[in-house]
Amino acid sequence: MNRLTSKLQNLKESNKKALVAYLVAGDPNLDTTLDLMHLFVDSGVDVIEIGVPFTDPIAEGPIIQKAHDRALKNNISLKMILELVDKFRETNTQTPIVLMGYLNTFISHIELVQSIGENSADSILVVDVPGELNLQTYGITNPNINIISLISPTTKDDRVESIAKNSTGFIYYVTLRGVTGSSNLNIEEIKNNIQKIQQYSDAPTMAGFGIKSVEDASTLAACSDGIVIGSSIVEMIADESKSKEFGRIGEYLREMKTAIS
Amino acid sequence: MTFSNSNFPDKEGFYGEYGGKFVPETLMYALEELENTYNKLKDNKDFIDEFYKDLSHFVGRPSPLYFAQRLTDHYKSGSIWLKREDLNHTGAHKINNTVGQILLAKYMGKKRIIAETGAGQHGVATATVAARLGLECHIYMGAEDVRRQSLNVYRIKLLGAHVHPVDSGSATLKDALNEALRDWVTNVDDTYYIIGSVTGPHPYPMIVRDFNSVVGKEVIEQSKDLFGKMPDAVVACVGGGSNAMGIFHPFIDIKETRLIGVEAGGEGVSTGEHAAPLNDGTPGVLHGARSYLMQDESGQVKDTKSVSAGLDYPGVGPEHSWLKDIGRAEYVAVSDDDALKAFHEVTELEGIMPALETAHAFAYLEPLMKELDSSTNVVVNVSGRGDKDINTVAEIDGIEF
Ligand SMILES: Cc1ncc(COP(=O)(O)O)c(C=O)c1O
Repeated sequence: MNRLTSKLQNLKESNKKALVAYLVAGDPNLDTTLDLMHLFVDSGVDVIEIGVPFTDPIAEGPIIQKAHDRALKNNISLKMILELVDKFRETNTQTPIVLMGYLNTFISHIELVQSIGENSADSILVVDVPGELNLQTYGITNPNINIISLISPTTKDDRVESIAKNSTGFIYYVTLRGVTGSSNLNIEEIKNNIQKIQQYSDAPTMAGFGIKSVEDASTLAACSDGIVIGSSIVEMIADESKSKEFGRIGEYLREMKTAIS
Repeated sequence: MTFSNSNFPDKEGFYGEYGGKFVPETLMYALEELENTYNKLKDNKDFIDEFYKDLSHFVGRPSPLYFAQRLTDHYKSGSIWLKREDLNHTGAHKINNTVGQILLAKYMGKKRIIAETGAGQHGVATATVAARLGLECHIYMGAEDVRRQSLNVYRIKLLGAHVHPVDSGSATLKDALNEALRDWVTNVDDTYYIIGSVTGPHPYPMIVRDFNSVVGKEVIEQSKDLFGKMPDAVVACVGGGSNAMGIFHPFIDIKETRLIGVEAGGEGVSTGEHAAPLNDGTPGVLHGARSYLMQDESGQVKDTKSVSAGLDYPGVGPEHSWLKDIGRAEYVAVSDDDALKAFHEVTELEGIMPALETAHAFAYLEPLMKELDSSTNVVVNVSGRGDKDINTVAEIDGIEF
C-alpha cells in the first residue's frame, strides 16, 4: 500500500490527527531543505509536503511566492527534488512525501513523474488542476503516486462528490477564499463543509491554508483528519536562514503537534 | 444577431488541444457562474441591444476602414486599409471588451471590478467603464510597466481606480495577471475579473473574442462597400491576441483572406530575447489555459522582452495556438527596431500615430507588400493610438522634456 495511505489509515485507527508541514525545495538551498525535512520528522510531523518551485505560483501569497523565487535562483528542478527525496529516503523510509506544484512543471517532466518508484515521493498535488480533471489525461498514470485533490469553500455540492472520488491520497480542504498565508478563517463554514465532504467520501480530509496559531490548529484538527501548515513555517525558514538556527521551527511544530493531539 | 459563428471552443473550453480551465479550485465556481451567465445573455435581445448601443454611443463605433493613400504609395503594391480602432473612446480596441464585460458584471450583481494591464490601455478601458457604472475598481500593473506607461497610470487614477504595482517575478504583464488571479481567489464572492485579452481560463478567451469580433464583422461590411470584395490579407499585432482575434474571427470561414498575426520579436527571435511564443515557444499551461508558451526545458516561464508593454507577455490566447496548428492563420514576428521604424513612418506618412503594439503590425507590411501585387487589398488593424508611448519613444530617441 502507498506510504501515505497507510500512514493516514494508521493515524485514523488510533484516533490521531495528522500534522502535515510544507516547505519549498531549495529554499534557501537543497542541503538545508534536507536538514529541515529531518527536523520536521523529529518534531512530530507526519507528512512532508514539498513545494515544487514555479515562476507563476498563482495560488500562493507573498510569503510562499518569495520562497519560490529564492528556490528558482538556485535553478531547482523536479529532477533535483526527486534526488533530494532519494537522499532523505536513505535514512527515512517511513514519512510520506507529497509534491505540491503547478501543472506545467509536472507535464514538462512527464517521464520523470512516470518513473517515480516505490521508495520515493508518494503523492502529487497539482494546485491548478481542478479535482474532476483526471491527471491521467495528462499522462500521469504512475501507480506509485497517488493524487490529492482540493476542495474549497466555493465548491458546489455536486462537484464535491466527483472530486472526492478522484482523490486517491487525501482530500485537501482549502480553509479560506484566498491564497496561502491569508488570515480570514471562518470556523463554522469550515466545519460544515468538511462534514459534507465526509458524507461523500471515506478519504481522509486535511484542512489547510491560513492556519497559523495553536488555537486554529486545535479547532480545525477537531473537525478534520489533520492540518497542513505552510506559510508560517516558510516565513520562519526565511527569517532563520541567515543564522542557520532552525530551533524555533522545531519548537513551533511540537506545539502544533500537541495542540492537535 | 448572435455573437459567434464558430463551433469552438468545445464544452470544456478547448480549441483543439488548447485552452481549458487550469485554475485553483476556489475559482471553478466563479468560472461556471460566468459561463452560465454569458451563455444565457449572449442570445438575449436586451443584452445585445444594450451592448451595441454602448458601442455606438459610448465607444463611437463603427470605426472607419480608412484608405491609407501615402502608405499605399510608399509600398507601391496593393491597397492598404486601416481599421481605425485607435479612434475608439480611450484610444484602443480594449474598450470593446470592457464595455461587454462590465455589462456581464452588472447582470451578475458584482460590486467590485479588478483587471490586469500591461500597456495600461486595458486598465484605462476598465477604469472607464467602472467609473461609468460607479463601481469600485482595482488595476494590477507590473512595476516595470507602471514606469514605462506612467501616463496611463495617471489616467487610471483620474478615473477613480486604484493602481496596484506588482513587484514579483519580471514585474510585467504576466505578473500583473498572477496578482489579479490572486485577488480574485480572495474576493471571489463580490468581485468581477475583467480579463484584458483572449487569455486565461475558459470562458474568458471566448467572451473576449466575441466582444471584440465586432471589429471583424464591421470590416467585412466595410470591405464590401469600399472595394467590393473581401480583403486578401488582414494583419494584426498579437500580445495576448484580443485585437487580432477580434478581427480574425469573423474571417475564419472566409478562406480567401489571409490572416496574419504579428508577435513581438524584441531583439530578434533568434536571440531568445523576445515575446513571440507562437514563433518560438512550445505548448504549456499558464494562467489557466494550455497554449504556446515561452518556457525553459524545466517548464519555468521565461522572461520576455519587447519595447511594447502590451505585447510583453510569454503566453498567447489558446485560439491562436489552434489557428496556427491548423494553418488557418500565419504568425510572424518583427523586432523592436523595425516596430520603432514603422511607428515613425506611419506617423509621418499618414498623420496617424500608432501604439507601439500596433506598430508591429505596420512593420510587417514591409516584407508582406513585396509579395503582393497592386490588385490586392490589405487591412491593418490599428489596435490603438500612440499617445501613451510618447515617453518611451522619446527616451529611445534620447529626448528629455
Ligand atoms: C493598442 C494595443 N494593441 C495591442 C495590444 C495587445 O493586446 P492584444 O494582443 O490582446 O490585442 C495592447 C495591449 O495592451 C494595446 O494596448
